[in-house]
Amino acid sequence: MLRDITLGQYYPVDSVLHRLDPRTKFIGTLLFVASLFLFHTFPGYGVATLFLVSMIFLSRVPVSFMFKGLRAIFVILLITVAFNIFLTPGRVLWQMGAVKITYEGLIQAGRMAVRLIYLVVGSSIMTLTTTPNQLTDGLEDLMRPLKVVRVPVHEIAMMMSIALRFIPILMEETDKIMKAQIARGADFETGNIFQRAKGLVPLLVPLFISAFRRADDLAMAMEARCYHGGEGRTQMKPLRYKGRDMAAYCIVIMYLAVSVVFRVRGI
Amino acid sequence: MSIELKNVSYLYSPGTAYEMRALEDINLVIPEHQFIGLIGHTGSGKSTLIQLFNGLLKPTGGQVFYNGEDIWGGDVSRKDLRSQVGLVFQYPEYQLFEVDVFKDVCFGPRNQGLDQEEAKRRARAALEHVGVPEELFGRSPFELSGGQKKRVAIAGVLAMDPRILILDEPTAGLDPRGRDEILRQIRALHETRGITIVLVSHSMEDIARYVQRIVVLDRGHIAFDDDPRRVFSHYRELEQMGLAAPQITYVMHDLRDRGVPVDVDVLTVEEARDNILAVLKGKGAGHAT
Repeated sequence: MLRDITLGQYYPVDSVLHRLDPRTKFIGTLLFVASLFLFHTFPGYGVATLFLVSMIFLSRVPVSFMFKGLRAIFVILLITVAFNIFLTPGRVLWQMGAVKITYEGLIQAGRMAVRLIYLVVGSSIMTLTTTPNQLTDGLEDLMRPLKVVRVPVHEIAMMMSIALRFIPILMEETDKIMKAQIARGADFETGNIFQRAKGLVPLLVPLFISAFRRADDLAMAMEARCYHGGEGRTQMKPLRYKGRDMAAYCIVIMYLAVSVVFRVRGI
Repeated sequence: MSIELKNVSYLYSPGTAYEMRALEDINLVIPEHQFIGLIGHTGSGKSTLIQLFNGLLKPTGGQVFYNGEDIWGGDVSRKDLRSQVGLVFQYPEYQLFEVDVFKDVCFGPRNQGLDQEEAKRRARAALEHVGVPEELFGRSPFELSGGQKKRVAIAGVLAMDPRILILDEPTAGLDPRGRDEILRQIRALHETRGITIVLVSHSMEDIARYVQRIVVLDRGHIAFDDDPRRVFSHYRELEQMGLAAPQITYVMHDLRDRGVPVDVDVLTVEEARDNILAVLKGKGAGHAT
């Protein structure tokens, strides 16, 4: 049942990408996304495709997992493509009443589709090769400069990692509660929306009670170990850039440079 | 009213990186009116197995029959099946949700489509049967002690009047007195209502004196399925599975090894006492229980 849903969608294999520092992967992903908006011609997308395919290859994650993320944006993708096809003015290829398809519209739709798909697949590579905790650590480090303007970076990161840590636990608990209630004849699947909403009470009450109890226990355990926020706190596994991170940065920057050149030259 | 499993296997998350084999080629018959202990170490597949009994999980291989009908065969209502095969999970916190104990126990019968009066009658009978005193009926289930919550949870399933009752670790987290009380009440249920009971546990000690048959699961396979005495005679193998026979089995084997001709097949301390006394009085050994 719910066991199959993984929110932190980390895929556990050992690859070069898995071993990279989370900060490298995060910045690398951002730069890749930037490149998608710099490229605006089909040869340019060819370069992006080449880059993306080699990353998928390096990550050693099955390709089907990469495209799972696309299901979530399928509707958005469809709407974007439709709007672009039908509403872009230009050379008319096909017309029926007020509805017309233009050459420019097709090009524009193709461009948007490629950008959206590559964006999702690109960020999937990051989340598939980085555990949620590494990602949080990486973000905490990257956001550190914001401390100067009094953003509680450590606290935000701590909340994020606790939340992430508890998602699988709460999922599993939801599953168990559902089963316990189904065993008592509860029905979560049929009926109209009101009946269904009412049917959720036997699920939500135990779930909330359990979540609050866990939160209480965790707060107690943290206080018992003298947790008092980020001040002067060190990390058990501090992030350190290694040689491969430098290599990765070089590759990504070179790739970005190519996209800038393409843009400037108008290729 | 029997459950039969034929060549059943179960895989978690098949086809993903997290694929895990929980059960493999299980063949098992649970006949009417039996009191069965299902024993296994953590991760042996006990919890998965009991969820196959009432159709909460669908086997990835093999078939599950209830009264000769394949429960995944198409025209079987699994909702009806679940009111015939009652399953009480380990943690009562996962099922208690109503404002008071009585309403919570009514939840099952109400879902069966019974009217208010009948549901109330069943709830009252079930609560009495598991020994929840009437003054607790109006209390919030969250204010109860661990043992009381467990009773209410059992009553919640019992009120549906199942033919087979499966209890997952009903004694976990209880003190010795609470544990014995619950087990005695479960035995009373078996005797007075005549229902089949499957008691899941990881402790032989707890259930030895109550059950008629023990099924031992080890890493997804059935290792033993026999009369308790015969299962305990394999105490060396049980140890290798991370289980143990009751302590009294060890005492009796030690005595036997030292030349005292006691009966090594006794199940309880009381039986052992009688047997040792009998041997000491020179009446001889053997199955003098």
